[in-house]
Amino acid sequence: MSGWQAERVLEAAVREAGDRIRAALAIRFRDLDMAEEAFAFASLRAVETWTRDGPPRDPAAWLYSVGRRRAFDMGRRAKVRSEAVHDAPEPTPDPETIVMAAFEPIPDERLRLIFVCCHPAIAPEARIALTLRTLCGLSVERIARAWLTTEVAMLQRLTRAKRKIRESRIRFEIPEPDAWGERLGAVLATLEIAYAQAYEDAAGASDAADLAAETLRLSGLLAELLPQEPEVLGLAALIRFTEARRPARLDSAGAMIPLSEQDVGLWDPRLIGQAAELMRRAAALGRSGPYQLLAAIHATHAARIETGTTDWASVVALYDILLRVRPSAVAAVNRAVAVAEAQTAEAGLAALAAVDSRERLAGWLPYQAARAGLLARAGRAAEATEALRRALTLEPAPAERLFLAKRLGELGA
Amino acid sequence: MQYLLLIYADEKLWARETGTDPSALQAITAAHMRLGAELSEAGALVGGNRLQPTDTATTIRNVGGAQSLHDGPYAETREQLAGYYLVEAPDLDAAIAWGKKIPGGPNYSIEVRPLHVL
Repeated sequence: MSGWQAERVLEAAVREAGDRIRAALAIRFRDLDMAEEAFAFASLRAVETWTRDGPPRDPAAWLYSVGRRRAFDMGRRAKVRSEAVHDAPEPTPDPETIVMAAFEPIPDERLRLIFVCCHPAIAPEARIALTLRTLCGLSVERIARAWLTTEVAMLQRLTRAKRKIRESRIRFEIPEPDAWGERLGAVLATLEIAYAQAYEDAAGASDAADLAAETLRLSGLLAELLPQEPEVLGLAALIRFTEARRPARLDSAGAMIPLSEQDVGLWDPRLIGQAAELMRRAAALGRSGPYQLLAAIHATHAARIETGTTDWASVVALYDILLRVRPSAVAAVNRAVAVAEAQTAEAGLAALAAVDSRERLAGWLPYQAARAGLLARAGRAAEATEALRRALTLEPAPAERLFLAKRLGELGA
Repeated sequence: MQYLLLIYADEKLWARETGTDPSALQAITAAHMRLGAELSEAGALVGGNRLQPTDTATTIRNVGGAQSLHDGPYAETREQLAGYYLVEAPDLDAAIAWGKKIPGGPNYSIEVRPLHVL
């Protein structure tokens, strides 16, 4: 077998089972660095060995087995942290065991690893980076690019998080029932932040799309691992609804197109179908929550594919419930925009003014952008111009900047 | 593994509240006694104490080999170290669970620090 062929087999195995192997190594040895290094070693050794001897019958099991042996050797040699609890003592390896081990199934520890990486004792901005690195195997450089930071800074953030997990001895277990709500909440919030980051700059081409794809995959994985948690299904649905609109979000000049003006023909019906199915399953569990409500709002928008119109009154009603369950300025501003659609622009502006008087939002981009839109609709061009100028000073992402500038042009300013 | 649970609170506020309402102090002291008993029961209690306010503190500064005394705490902060528990716990999650049980006034923080293992 050529080296090139061996690499192809390796790539396929990593794509298929990389998450599972990395998670199994990390959980077994209670050490994220060691697991990373062991997996890298196994991958390197795979290309050499498979080029020489041909690929094994089960490449994933081979990688896990070699990685596990490597981690075990590293641990024995280092003899550090000898107190660390391992799942089970490793049997003395001989060639026979190595061959046999190749047929041992790889335990599915992905959920345990997600809970470790998204532990509430870890800084929120480090959680997703850690998950993408240790579970998904993304390179530090790729994660750094998605977060618009340097590789050095990202590496430091990851190193610190891993050190904390090791030195403060964060538990490598599925959380107990009394901690379940807080821990699951931290995992969901981590995914939500990651997706918001990916969504932020629609024009940010491949980096954001990469991250969005990884978050989409992670949310699906979580839904598969926790099928009885309606909010997990709700978040997975929410991300799918939003991601379905990606092809319709920018015009040919790269300017953002607001949801209500998007060409529904460009929305991805496959993702919308998956989202609807996830929502149906979540609803069947009979416990509502903020992610399911957000998903329901997006489902109402998605219905425009079928009906050609948006049921804005329903959108307003859903935001009303959401604001009771999980109040936020974002939801309040979005509700005001929906009020404008369901009733009049002036009604929307009144709702927006009510939010501002409570939260002091003048220096906040989503508020000024929404206000500009409603003022323009109300025919108050001078004030709309003023709000657009203000919004443009609040550092919008490139696609939104283009959109706001275009609107400014339309107002003849 | 041992964890130090450091209790931080605004000692001036605390002095004011317990000064005007002695029953508040009694209630919190009783709650600490209960927690101490629970920790002992679980075999998790290594030590713990309430500290005198920071106006009783003396800081010894070592600079370039020279020592000098300073009347007051190491750092002036909005909330001060008011006491601690030293607990034995299998992992951070267990230590945090103990930390969440530490009683206090309306606003206070608990810092959970693992001890260095040799």
